[in-house]
Amino acid sequence: MSFTPGVIPGEPSSVTDRPGRSGHGGAFPNARSMFVTLGLAIVRERPWFLFVSLLILIFVLAISVNGFFTIYNMLNMSKYSVEIGLLALAETLVITSGGGGIDLSVGSMLSLVCVIIGHLAIKLGINIWAAAFAGIIAGFLLGCINGILISTVRIPPFIVTLGTMYAYRSLALVITGGIPISGFPPSYYALGQGSIMGIPFQVLIIFIPVIIILNYTLTRTLFGRYLYGVGSNELAAKFAAINIKKVRVWVYILSGLLAGIAAVVMTSRVATAKPDAGFGYELQAITIAVLGGTSVAGGRGTIAGTVLAALTLTVLYNGLDLAGIHPIWQVGTLGLVLIISVLLNNWLLRSKE
Amino acid sequence: METILSAAGISKSFGGVHALKGVDFELAAGEVHALVGENGAGKSTLIKIFSGALRPDSGRILYLGKEVEISAPRVAQEMGIATVYQEPLLYPELDVVENIFMGREITNRYGNIDYREELSRARTLFEMVGVDPNFLVEKVGRLSLGLNQLVLIAKALSYKSRVIIFDEPTAILTEQEARRLFEIIGRLKEQGVGIIYISHRLEEVFQIADRITVMRDGEIKGTFPAREVTRDRIVELMAGRSLRSSVRRARPAYGKPVLSVQGFTRRPQYFDVSFDLYPGEILGFFGLVGSGRTEVALGMIGIAPPREGSLLLDDRPVNIRAPFEALDLGIAYLPEDRKTQGLFNILSIRYNISVSVLGRLKRLGFLVDRDREAEICNRYSAELSIKLRNINNLVSSLSGGNQQKVVLARWLAGSPRVLILDEPTRGIDVASKEEIHNKIFDLASRGVAIMVISSELPEILKISDRIIVMHEGRMTGIFDRESATPEGVLRVAMGEAGTGIQNQG
Amino acid sequence: MNTKAFYRVAYSREFIVFISLIILGAVLTSFSPQFLSLENISNLLLQISGITIVAVGMTMVIITGGFDVSVGSTLGLVAVIIGKAALAGVHPGFIPVIALASGSCLGAINGNLIAFGRIPPIIATLGTMNILRASIFQMLGGRWISKVPAGIRWFGISRFLGIPVPMWFAIIIALIFAYFLSRRPSGRYVYALGGNPEAANLAGINLRRVQITVYSITGALAGLAALIYVGRTGIVQTNTGVGFELDVIAAVVLGGTSTLGGKGSIVGSVAGALLVGVIKNGLILLNVPALWEGMIIGGLILMAVTVDTVRQRGIAA
Repeated sequence: MSFTPGVIPGEPSSVTDRPGRSGHGGAFPNARSMFVTLGLAIVRERPWFLFVSLLILIFVLAISVNGFFTIYNMLNMSKYSVEIGLLALAETLVITSGGGGIDLSVGSMLSLVCVIIGHLAIKLGINIWAAAFAGIIAGFLLGCINGILISTVRIPPFIVTLGTMYAYRSLALVITGGIPISGFPPSYYALGQGSIMGIPFQVLIIFIPVIIILNYTLTRTLFGRYLYGVGSNELAAKFAAINIKKVRVWVYILSGLLAGIAAVVMTSRVATAKPDAGFGYELQAITIAVLGGTSVAGGRGTIAGTVLAALTLTVLYNGLDLAGIHPIWQVGTLGLVLIISVLLNNWLLRSKE
Repeated sequence: METILSAAGISKSFGGVHALKGVDFELAAGEVHALVGENGAGKSTLIKIFSGALRPDSGRILYLGKEVEISAPRVAQEMGIATVYQEPLLYPELDVVENIFMGREITNRYGNIDYREELSRARTLFEMVGVDPNFLVEKVGRLSLGLNQLVLIAKALSYKSRVIIFDEPTAILTEQEARRLFEIIGRLKEQGVGIIYISHRLEEVFQIADRITVMRDGEIKGTFPAREVTRDRIVELMAGRSLRSSVRRARPAYGKPVLSVQGFTRRPQYFDVSFDLYPGEILGFFGLVGSGRTEVALGMIGIAPPREGSLLLDDRPVNIRAPFEALDLGIAYLPEDRKTQGLFNILSIRYNISVSVLGRLKRLGFLVDRDREAEICNRYSAELSIKLRNINNLVSSLSGGNQQKVVLARWLAGSPRVLILDEPTRGIDVASKEEIHNKIFDLASRGVAIMVISSELPEILKISDRIIVMHEGRMTGIFDRESATPEGVLRVAMGEAGTGIQNQG
Repeated sequence: MNTKAFYRVAYSREFIVFISLIILGAVLTSFSPQFLSLENISNLLLQISGITIVAVGMTMVIITGGFDVSVGSTLGLVAVIIGKAALAGVHPGFIPVIALASGSCLGAINGNLIAFGRIPPIIATLGTMNILRASIFQMLGGRWISKVPAGIRWFGISRFLGIPVPMWFAIIIALIFAYFLSRRPSGRYVYALGGNPEAANLAGINLRRVQITVYSITGALAGLAALIYVGRTGIVQTNTGVGFELDVIAAVVLGGTSTLGGKGSIVGSVAGALLVGVIKNGLILLNVPALWEGMIIGGLILMAVTVDTVRQRGIAA
């Protein structure tokens, strides 16, 4: 994973490239202004800012919470960041695509796909890997419904995904009758419970590859370029011969696809398909994306920022957990972090201009 | 007659471009003072300053003998200066009465809206404007554009204003509605209201104006009592000296047209527009506000396709429904408004140049070929001499002229066969303008068919091989290079010379 | 009545919703004659009074081009506050004041975040929704509040002139705000803000004040709904008000209020709330498992918005 801010098309490849920010030739008149410049750069280049806060957070927790700074805990923690991390990446794509882009249904898609996998594999007795594959396809289709309603019928994203959030969630309950499905074959556990040299399988063979692929997609592929264009100025994108509808439909499809992959990881990790598995995940995913520097106005967002934000929140949760604070406060904290980070983003954008 | 509104030495510039240069203007009570000039002459800027939408950089405004500062539209309205703009600023889901009184409702002693009173006052206003009062309870979104305009006029009347500014009020009115408007204006005059009247229709200007002021290039070129001046003199002043190109270009070979527009119609924007475009030709498209020139171009690239008519490319009919389809066929359109339609402001120069050609540079079907991308960016920024430090810098770090070149580079990079340039040099410095003109000549000499839409007459005259003139949605004239004079073109554009369609040649 | 006026009425959203109500009612009656029983109808109306009250506020929020998903949590938190206050011995006469005041404060927080913080409404209210949920949990500490004093129960279960008190509230609130939207200048500004913010700003309307006002009103109405809820059920749980926002949003959207802003009516939302009530009631009568509810309500929202959008585009084109 790359921490260079240069992954944003349109962002300079290094901070000093920007005219008028660092003076000429990088010569600082004195040490104080160098600190100011450095401080501003860390705040404005979100991935660096997050990286530094992550280190500080780990340090603070390591000295204050017993059992936090152990290899076991660190690696175990990374396991939990996978599912939510995947959803946050989905949210990053959706929010970056602009036009009020948001996907409130990611949590429900996760639940529904979990249930579909469980139902196919256990109730219908289909091969578990085939069921997992079918689950990912289902995620694709669920995202497709969102995408078509948003980009073809042109309904605001928040209302479409609010509707599907409830609809998909309820469908998951209907399929299972509200009862979790368990009894997955042990061969399936490997994905979510195994590890190589202590590194969890799902981190190694799912999360890291997805991060690399998405980072590559955003920075090197046509789709990535078009995504930023559509998100930053829809009208200009239309005149610049970008097929806006196609880009938007695909963004929501990818969101469904990522929710599907997250569902596979989750069913394998907990060995159960719970109809409420993704309850409340949309909030976490959106919060992480926004904390990672994705602008709710569209056109700005990076994979590196989101991944670091996901790690930061996972570490924070783990720390709170070990410190014995009730999980409901995770949700409360999230709401607060969400609001504060949007305010921060808005403030930074305004001060940039 | 006493002067109610006057401006002295008003200047205003936008990013180094002078829109107004020390303008003096006077309006007397009970007078209709017409303001004429081409697009971009500075009329709109001046009335925006009077109506509080813009603040002047320097100069003074006197109203009723006192120096005033018009800091916001609301201030102007409360002073008694009302403006009827071209585009309606209304609330489509509310009815006419609610629209007229928005922000200053009539209330009874309990603070409730007295709809009955509003309705009866609005009815009086509508009777003055001469519109069926049944429309008063209709939602504004359901009314025709002409009716919308009349609602705005009624709204302006409701302010009991001392000064009313009309900006092209008749452009979307029917003849009958327009006649009605002139009657209203006559009545307002009698009541001592001063009226600033902006119009491209010289006929009606001479019909109702007491004085006529001509503007060009941000300056006043003269103010005349309407009875003592001829139309020819006005047109001459508006047109100014023609700037013939120093570049003597070879006449393009008029062989087979590359593109042919046949019977394009999209009511009410344009009707029955037909023309051919030849390889190596620069076809100028001239028309004043509301003439439909940009709309025709938008129709050609599929943003707002025409309802009737067809587009032939190499004699084959093509059906274009979106710009990306147009580009695939080799038709590129440089949009009119750089800021909102052209630039990706928060992205890099590199992105802004390459975005439209990425589809052709792809590797393996989906990857961006970064080397060729950089190569193209460097080539076109050199060709257009864009002054930049690094192609990865934000495009917003460039000057206006260089930003325009970046957007132009985007379209050149696609090597189009047909290039439609809408206002290619609006709001940029003289040097950049010259460079862009030279680039256009260069492209034409390499066989690209170019259509230039511009509201600057000197620019059109300077660069075009042929000029098509539009007036109120119709083609009213075709000139070739030799026969085009500033007065002649402007007269046709103002609907003065009947239809002057000649066969080209 | 001339034909033009006839078509206008026939195509109006309120009319369509009323027709659907009648058809749905007829269908339900044929399947389950119980539907038309006085007991069932009065039960139904009692159930939807909370939805109706909050839908009135939500209508105004959506007309301004905003959105509020935090109403369910607001209801929950206010329920906890008044429950605790009542147990602490606060006079029942003060309880409504506490409910309205705390509700409007919570709404004002949303309004300020949106108006001054320029946070998109969906994100701001999603954030506060979860903060409020956590606060509810914290205040209850995982326990229930029950044995609410009889003084409060009056707001939920008593009748006045034979009509349950909550219904009186719903009727009065709907009338007040229908009057507000059509007769007060500020009511008109609500439409102006959603219809054409730029023009509204030029007309000298204080857009931020309008925004903060509508969110505060919605919060206060959620507080009133909380009072009715506590009165009716006599208990406050951690999950009080969960999913309530869905019913409210469904009522408003079914009632024809446009999610693009600038358009909507109280009458429509009341009709929408009735429709939601009848559907939920029908599901129970037909023995459809409660698990289906989200599907049906969510699906209805999508259907209503799709039909509206397609129709609007049809007119525009």
